[in-house]
Amino acid sequence: MKVRRLLFAILWLALIDLFIPPLLQRAEYARYETGAVYRFENSDLFALGPMVHYLREHPRGPRRRTMFLGNSVVFGYGLETRDALPAQFERIAGDTRVFNAAVNGAESGDSFLLGKAVIDSVDTLYVQLIRRDGARPILGMLIPVDDTDARHYGLDRLGPIEATLRSMLGRVWHLYGDNDRLQAALFGTSTRQYFYLHKRELLLAIVGRASHVAPETPRSTIAVSLSQRNGILGLPRPLLDLAEVAKAHRKRLVILDFQQRVAAAGFNAKYAPYAELVSIDVPPALRFDTMHLTPAGANAVAAALVAHERERAP
Amino acid sequence: MIFTELRFILLFALCWITFFAVPRRWRSATLAVFGIVFYAIFAGPSVLGIVLLLTLAAYVRAPALMFVIVLIIAKVPDAPWIVPLGLSYLTFELIHVVVERRRGRIAEMSLTDLLAFVFFAPARIAGPIKRFPQFRDAVAAAELSADDVYAGVLRILLGLGKKFLLADVLALTVAESEYASSMHQAWMVVIAFGLQLFLDFSAYSDIAIGFARTLGIRLPENFNWPYLAANIREFWERWHITLSQWVRDYVFTPLGRALFGTRLRPYPGAIAAISYLVTFAIVGAWHGLEPRFVLWGLYHGALLAIFNLWRRHVPSSDSVARRVLGIAVTFFFVTIGWVPFFLPLAKATHMWALMFGIAR
Repeated sequence: MKVRRLLFAILWLALIDLFIPPLLQRAEYARYETGAVYRFENSDLFALGPMVHYLREHPRGPRRRTMFLGNSVVFGYGLETRDALPAQFERIAGDTRVFNAAVNGAESGDSFLLGKAVIDSVDTLYVQLIRRDGARPILGMLIPVDDTDARHYGLDRLGPIEATLRSMLGRVWHLYGDNDRLQAALFGTSTRQYFYLHKRELLLAIVGRASHVAPETPRSTIAVSLSQRNGILGLPRPLLDLAEVAKAHRKRLVILDFQQRVAAAGFNAKYAPYAELVSIDVPPALRFDTMHLTPAGANAVAAALVAHERERAP
Repeated sequence: MIFTELRFILLFALCWITFFAVPRRWRSATLAVFGIVFYAIFAGPSVLGIVLLLTLAAYVRAPALMFVIVLIIAKVPDAPWIVPLGLSYLTFELIHVVVERRRGRIAEMSLTDLLAFVFFAPARIAGPIKRFPQFRDAVAAAELSADDVYAGVLRILLGLGKKFLLADVLALTVAESEYASSMHQAWMVVIAFGLQLFLDFSAYSDIAIGFARTLGIRLPENFNWPYLAANIREFWERWHITLSQWVRDYVFTPLGRALFGTRLRPYPGAIAAISYLVTFAIVGAWHGLEPRFVLWGLYHGALLAIFNLWRRHVPSSDSVARRVLGIAVTFFFVTIGWVPFFLPLAKATHMWALMFGIAR
């Protein structure tokens, strides 16, 4: 009897597994290509791996692709998803699919590794200039990185035996192999983060009460100016490396300097037209603390970036 | 989590097949060999060497004090030296072996049986703390049974569910401790920690017990609905049971007996109080050689000593209302005690102040 139950459970798993690839395909397409606004549900690293793998497997989408990399300033700490800088950029530009791949606390090493991993699958990269040049060790387990980068940034790696076993099992058991990708596609983060973040709404939905409705995104009445300042500092090494990668792959890289302290002219002359450094002067009225943008601030910066690109390539 | 690594699962599957394929007399050797391979893979050859040396020391009846010293050295916070995987559990098992051999309760013991006991992979990560005679008998009597495999697999799935669906989600609330700024938030975080710790730790025990069960080996239970305990003594009979039983047998009882031979003999309440405090200070230090863990241990020792005195004067009752009240009071005191267990002392003090409305 117990043997029969075990076999029955295995049979069910095998049956379910038949539906995993088409479900994943639909969920990923909806999440990464057609959704109104894309941002991870939570600024965590979990969903980065699945997104990078999707982009590498699908180097072309129905629309042009733009990716934003950076820390909480770009992610949109304290803002609704649609109010964050990348989402507003997508709305204003109108003709590009924007990926907000910023993670709270990220450093420029993280941006280099992520940018390098997706460089062939995006058209434009916007990368926030962050002076700290480290990378999170866990990235080595989430996205493809070469051995040189793994050693340089001290990344964690799966052992060869475990990596081989996972790859072998993942090929025959989709629910196992695609587990992370399925979670990221369905929830925009890990399942546990999703339930944690939405526990209040889910409880309200159960008792039949309306959940929170976000207010309309305000348009900024204050303009933000972009410039090429000649600051005194040089670019962090990872961003120079990323500029080399962009140039080699003939992709556009825009480095966003919110601090306005880096010398731009030499860099821009060397890497034009592929990489460009722009200084962004955000008035204090468009920030809710010393660095984070208000919804109107994100709106103003997004409008300035879109206008800058249109001026550059009418 | 080592249990979910495919290397572990593959190794265990090979161990399982070999265990039932070889003649019964070679089963201990099978567990020993696979356990050593497990240790070499997951902890590294140098750590394996240390554990082998400790096992040989136990085999040649080295004094228990030697293992205590090893445990203390290993527990030094931020120590630069290598600490073997699951060493806390390992040293307690080895102390049990050398003490019971000296007491004559383990008459004969082969090195193979001892190696199988020490290196039994499922229990090597986070317990339960085994007892040698019961383990040796369980290995000798193990039978291939669909019932055991079924029960074992279900227990593993239960453990995985507890860990990934409940404990890991609660951990996100616990992480809010950094930002807690109100009484409500403080209580929510601390209660979440108490539940997370229970679910996480009991999940590891469930998985270990489940893997062993598929081999037909019954490991001792470690948890029995501890938050339904109606008093603090009952809590320790339900929480980390194998640790409670170990300290009862090798610290509390011998210490109490020794104190009865002193001038304290006319004061059994004082003897019990000292025994509880010393025993639980050791339990605290076993979790980490830091003041906050010792404080947590002393707090539980004090609760047990107070309960002991209270029980002497207030007769016990079987009424439902008293049991419900007992469960609530026990949960309250246990929950307060978790604060230094998961926060450094300075932050713990602030958290207590928040919980009782003293700080903002």
